[in-house]
Amino acid sequence: MGYFNGYVRPNDTVGVRNTLLILSGTVYANSTAERVAATIEGAVAITHPLGRCQVRPDLRNTFNTLVATGKNPNVGAVVVIDHFREEGCTADEIAHEIRKTGKPVEVVNIRKAHGAIEATAEATRKAMLLKRKLSAQVREKVSVSNLLLGLNCGTSDTSSGIGSNMALGFASDKIVNQGGRSILAETMELMGAEGYLRERSVNPGVGDKIVGYIDRIERRALASGEDIRGSQPTGDNIVGGLSTIEEKSLGAYMKSGSAPIIDGLDYAQVCENREPGVYVMDTPGHGSESITGIAAGGAQVLVFSTGGGHTISHPIMPTIKITGNGESFQFMEDTMELDLSGIFEDKLTIEQAGDLVYDEILETCNGKLTKAEILKEQTGFAIHRVGISI
Amino acid sequence: MAREVHVIDPKDNTGTVISRTMTAGREVEVEAGGEVKMVKVLKDIPYGHKIAVRSIKKGDTIWKYGLSIGTALEDIEVGDHVHIHNIESNRGRGDLFKEKANAGESV
Repeated sequence: MGYFNGYVRPNDTVGVRNTLLILSGTVYANSTAERVAATIEGAVAITHPLGRCQVRPDLRNTFNTLVATGKNPNVGAVVVIDHFREEGCTADEIAHEIRKTGKPVEVVNIRKAHGAIEATAEATRKAMLLKRKLSAQVREKVSVSNLLLGLNCGTSDTSSGIGSNMALGFASDKIVNQGGRSILAETMELMGAEGYLRERSVNPGVGDKIVGYIDRIERRALASGEDIRGSQPTGDNIVGGLSTIEEKSLGAYMKSGSAPIIDGLDYAQVCENREPGVYVMDTPGHGSESITGIAAGGAQVLVFSTGGGHTISHPIMPTIKITGNGESFQFMEDTMELDLSGIFEDKLTIEQAGDLVYDEILETCNGKLTKAEILKEQTGFAIHRVGISI
Repeated sequence: MAREVHVIDPKDNTGTVISRTMTAGREVEVEAGGEVKMVKVLKDIPYGHKIAVRSIKKGDTIWKYGLSIGTALEDIEVGDHVHIHNIESNRGRGDLFKEKANAGESV
């Protein structure tokens, strides 16, 4: 049985980081949030261009994503900042929901504070006191069963499906076998894998739900009157050797291993069910939007499998990057953790490569920083839009 | 010698090129479903792209992972490059959907 040392939260979830999050409720609070985070040791700002003039379902999706990001067990405390009164997405409403986890949450409103400078001062002082509290918390030894692993891929080439994704699938199975869970996402990239997804689902209802996600996005693509082959697979996928969406999908599907599929999750839905297995979240192929949904789902760590190499890293969820393409690793080594190209040189079996991924996950959960965390690469936060700006 | 073509499932009619020297005219060893055979490479094939390891007829299913990744647009000989010029997806084809809808066919 595997263990890691994490931060046990009041709601019995376990964080692998103890981040103080400065959360912007709206585009007009972004700069204040960034100023506060720049002042406070180890604080992370999450900013975005939304929170204003959105249609209802889109605004609700933004609200849910911000709330669930604050609820992620890696977040120890939150300061939410908003601007005036953002109907349906106020800092007070966001804070009210996040507080249900038992973690401390403070609110600052820029107008009430009498402007950006005073709001910065108020939020900085609140953040300082929260940070002092967080710094007194210590890691505790807990079982791997507490882990919710995020699975995602991007800038895929053919080494992804037949190499790094299969290794990641092995690591995911190893975590699930010890009582943990993982989240498979990227609905578009499951198109063509429906039969397999149904077979692995714990009951036909779950299979229907997941295939329903795929049908919905395919219908949306069909209704556009466009041939999606122009954008899926993407141009870089095609240069890398992938030909059709089915080929890309089956490769993507490999990263979920062989464990049972327990349920489907809507975008950014918190995975409350603790039953070990794989959960399938309805996210878009856009890498940052997808991992933003997964982090909101509660994943404490994510492995991002890539063919071409990548900088992507979520601000509060360590994002481990692996590749089966040795050349890409050399080009993109600054933000990449594992080169698994040994799989194609008969130096590594899929199982050995999977063990390397598993070990990297556990070390990261124990506190080892990813390269992107050290470089403060925060390219992995983008909220998926389900409506237009009005 | 290092493996140059990676075939995942015995059912597959394509393999992934994991060599950077897959040039036309070469004879390369391919292992598929426990059987080893020599394949003559018909075109230069880039790293990461697919090579036909079985003869494929127009309209045949293209197999990888033991699963369908599309359909052949033309006859494809063993050793040929298999990519977007000679296979196509069967999914997400809004263009075909629109043609059918315009023609008043059920879709």
